[in-house]
Amino acid sequence: MSTRNKELLLLFPAILLTTIGFATVYIRRSEDIGWVSLSYGAIFLGLFGLVHVARRLLVPRADPYLLPITALLSTLGILMIYRLKPELALQQAVWLVVGLVTFVGVLVGARHYRRLVQYKYIVGLAGLALLLFTILFAREIGGARLWVRFGGVGFQPPEFAKLLLVIFFAAYLCDMRELLAVSTHRVLGLALPPFRYLAPLLTIWGLSLAMMIFMKDLGTSLLFFAALLAVMYVATDRLFYVVAGMGLFSGGAYVLYQIFPHVQTRVDVWLDPWADPTGKGYQILQSLFALAAGGLFGRGLGNGYLLLQSGATIIPALETDFIFSAIGEELGLAGSAAIVLLYLIFVFRGLRIALRSRDQFSRLLATGLTTVFGLQAFLIMGGVTKLIPLTGITLPFVSYGGSSIVANFALLALLLLVSDASTRDEVDVPETAGSPAAGARGGTT
Amino acid sequence: MDRSIRRLFVFFVLIFVGLVVQLTYVQVWAAPRLNTNAYNTRGVEQQMRVERGLILAADGSQLATNTKDGVYFLRQYPQGSLTSPWLGYSSLRYGRAGVELAYNPELSGDSDLLGVRNFLDLVTGRPTRGADLRLTLDPNVQRTAVEALGDNVGAVMALDPRTGAVLAWAVSPRFDPNKIDEEWKQLNGDPGKPLVDRALQGRYPPGSVFKVIVAAAALEKGVVTPQTTFDDSPGGWLAGGYRVNNFGDKSFGEHTFAEAFANSVNTTFAKVGVQLGAEELNTYAHAFGFGQQLPWRLGGSGGSFPDPAGMDKANVAQVSFGQGAVLVTPMQMALVAAGVANGGQIMRPYVVSEVRDYNQQVLEKTKPTVWLRPITPATAATLRDLMVKVVQEGTGTRAAIEGVKVAGKTGTAEIGGGVAHSWFVGFAPADAPSVAVAVVVEKGTAASASIARDVMAAALGL
Repeated sequence: MSTRNKELLLLFPAILLTTIGFATVYIRRSEDIGWVSLSYGAIFLGLFGLVHVARRLLVPRADPYLLPITALLSTLGILMIYRLKPELALQQAVWLVVGLVTFVGVLVGARHYRRLVQYKYIVGLAGLALLLFTILFAREIGGARLWVRFGGVGFQPPEFAKLLLVIFFAAYLCDMRELLAVSTHRVLGLALPPFRYLAPLLTIWGLSLAMMIFMKDLGTSLLFFAALLAVMYVATDRLFYVVAGMGLFSGGAYVLYQIFPHVQTRVDVWLDPWADPTGKGYQILQSLFALAAGGLFGRGLGNGYLLLQSGATIIPALETDFIFSAIGEELGLAGSAAIVLLYLIFVFRGLRIALRSRDQFSRLLATGLTTVFGLQAFLIMGGVTKLIPLTGITLPFVSYGGSSIVANFALLALLLLVSDASTRDEVDVPETAGSPAAGARGGTT
Repeated sequence: MDRSIRRLFVFFVLIFVGLVVQLTYVQVWAAPRLNTNAYNTRGVEQQMRVERGLILAADGSQLATNTKDGVYFLRQYPQGSLTSPWLGYSSLRYGRAGVELAYNPELSGDSDLLGVRNFLDLVTGRPTRGADLRLTLDPNVQRTAVEALGDNVGAVMALDPRTGAVLAWAVSPRFDPNKIDEEWKQLNGDPGKPLVDRALQGRYPPGSVFKVIVAAAALEKGVVTPQTTFDDSPGGWLAGGYRVNNFGDKSFGEHTFAEAFANSVNTTFAKVGVQLGAEELNTYAHAFGFGQQLPWRLGGSGGSFPDPAGMDKANVAQVSFGQGAVLVTPMQMALVAAGVANGGQIMRPYVVSEVRDYNQQVLEKTKPTVWLRPITPATAATLRDLMVKVVQEGTGTRAAIEGVKVAGKTGTAEIGGGVAHSWFVGFAPADAPSVAVAVVVEKGTAASASIARDVMAAALGL
């Protein structure tokens, strides 16, 4: 079967899940919500069908698994949001449409994505500007300053900064990899490359710490830094950077832990949520209770005890940061482990794209995008299950939030562009290592 | 480069496997612990989603209903404090009591009785709804009992002696089960202890109402007949160094046992009790239910009689007129009265006559059964006549109802400091009893007899 038809086939489970899921929630909550629910399946069928057609035309040879995984995750997300707060589901559906339009837009607009190497500093500075903008203008919601209101619409610049910085890392390291791989002098017995090549690493390190301080956001800062390390590691093949980077981050984080109460709180709550079970530990304990209530097979969609009498969710931020807990309660370990597996398959396909790409920039870009995506999923899923300290970030494609949906669809589009280019390279294009001209072939011709 | 990408993938596999391990730990391994954790309010959430069964009075009036608030059901008690302690309460914060606690499996739909029904609900997609209970509570008798008690601290228990069905179960002070959440702290700190069910849990010295049991034992054992004469000389009677006095230090001279019962002569009962001995008294107390758990789900013990092995003559004499270490609950004394009324058979008490599903199909119907047979019908008949005399010409004339032959026994249980609890146990009509009562008024005067009269009259439809 051709990859294109494979994708079409794989989209059906997502559509099926949406229809059955919405019908289930509708039946469970029929007194609160209307018949509209049943049309969701049909609407998504149409939407993803259209996007599939667009993909067939624009990137016909791209990986066939990523879009169906995304479809499954995003429809499951809408389903859960619909089940928790029906009034937010429509907004999320609108954001999904915006995300899909963005997806097609990026497929068209960035089909010569290799040219981004030339504009790497502009891209990097744009990313930094977004972060700076966030630091300056964001309001604090849920203990983290990530939200900027823009003409009545909440907007999370870090979600987009994430993309821009990954592109920058990939492009920068693509140029510098040889220089970084070579050590010119030794410090304390360690072979180090020239300082000026290390500067970006140190800049990102400083930026991550600044984000931790100003945005009170451990998750996003860790995400940026880890993405940089992953790309550096793949670019140079030297574990040294990973070890050194982790040391730098840990050192910085430790100092911040000593100084800033909000970092301390996060870690203390992780270590012992029972110390303040109705206060600081409430969120994580309720999350664990939700997961435990789900057991092996869950309570069934619409059957979890997720809403309080007032209509508020039992866990604050349930539809955003804690949506995985809600899924865990209603779909059980079977459902939550399936979600983990979906993300792992996404990561596998993403890194496979990196492996198959012939030019350095494509490899690093695919690596960076996949890492930032997979790690974000891990950080929040690990956080709500108390595997690691909780950081307030969204579960890609599933959580409520327009910025997250749109940014992740843009990420997906870039990955598919790289994927499509890699298969073309395999067939008929000799390696052109980062040459913008090579990308020009990946068009709609 | 390939190697590092592969290693990166291995890293992701490791952390995601760690995630699945952690998920398995939380969702399966630690789940039982987390599900029952004290800070886990999910059980409460679950309970709030269940439409509890209705609780109805004997006449079908609603005593406990639900109102719907979103996906939750909130319990309502239309009769307010009138029906405490029957219903108890069903609070998500403070748990349950009374029928709400004892019949929670039926009310919440967890009972095996509802097994098939729940399965059908699952198939048809109908929400699970608990079973309805029909109580034996007679609203008229209950209201009379509550009103007659008024501001007195005490309890009233009224049964149908033929079946064991509880007709009235009233205590004072009371609480309003609708306000249990708001008023919990206040109710708990109240020195009057409104949350304590005095009728079932209140342990009182019985005073002279215990003479019913002593008389039953003496008549049954042939130690006395109603005509047996006794002499009560002034200055009481000395039993093992303990001087027994009559109420008000009265002296009755030469009198029959029947007169001793009617006038509640302590000295005579002390003599009879000593003659019977501690073992025999204990045997009969036990036969009437003392020291036994009540045979129903609502809890409460039958009363307690001291260990006969540890009793000297003075103790036996004291216990024989209901002082000393013997303690009873109003429910226990109502059962004693019911046993005498029902020809020596104490029926198993019950408060729920029917359990029905929401289609009004009867799932369970209570059939009256005999619990205890402490005395023979002949003894019961003799004792009944003695008790009739108490109301006709003895200490219990305030319990008399015009046109009805009432049997009864009064009691004044001294608790020291010149303070006493006032008791009355009895039944009516004496020839074919349909109601038996026990009333206690703490630190009361003779109020208990008139309360008992009102309650019995209400039960007889007068």
